[in-house]
Amino acid sequence: MKKVLITTLLFVGLLAVASANAAPRLTVPVSEFDFGYVPQNSNVSHTFWLHSTGDDTLRILNVKPG
Amino acid sequence: MLAVGDSTRLEIIFSTKRYTNRITKRPRIETNEGPPDKNVTIISQVVRRPDSTYPVIVKPYKLDVSQFGEKVRDEMKFTLTNVSETNLTVTLVDEPYGYATVQLPEVIEAGKSAEGIIHLNADALDQSFEKSFTFELDDEQTSRFTVPVKRTVRKPPASAAQTTGQ
Repeated sequence: MKKVLITTLLFVGLLAVASANAAPRLTVPVSEFDFGYVPQNSNVSHTFWLHSTGDDTLRILNVKPG
Repeated sequence: MLAVGDSTRLEIIFSTKRYTNRITKRPRIETNEGPPDKNVTIISQVVRRPDSTYPVIVKPYKLDVSQFGEKVRDEMKFTLTNVSETNLTVTLVDEPYGYATVQLPEVIEAGKSAEGIIHLNADALDQSFEKSFTFELDDEQTSRFTVPVKRTVRKPPASAAQTTGQ
């Protein structure tokens, strides 16, 4: 009975440690795009893929123009 | 919010305004991952006279596929003129995802013109938008060109159409 209790406590402890170390991570596989020649006074756009590759939920809080 | 293993798209819109020459922008993505924030980088060569580029001239250099009225406008042709002395292979690099598909000539012979066409997707016909597509050439500089695509939709109200019909 004691062995079961100790094993359970160890398991719960490990889970707690793992949860405390969980971290979100953003991966942008292709992070650069070259438009080449673009006319003045126009709007052009490109779509980047963002991946959540950490072990916790990733929150995108803001995108600031560079 | 992105669950572990999920993906999403981030659209960056670049307004060229009255910039000239090479422009680089690095929008910053702020997340709960914490600092340092990650960046994406966009590079462009803004041209004041897009009707005299080299080795290709795109006409028109901005595509306006606007629709004013009931008649559906879902495609537009454009011309690529090779002003160099060698044949050029054309590769589509980027197109307006979900809005349109672009067909380009495979090769443009030296000194000749070839036609391209943009087809709007059925889902995009009721929408006004500003997007673009990008193609690349196989010249020494592997030159790239981005063509802006704009659509404005204005249809007469249903009641007005009925009145006109009577």
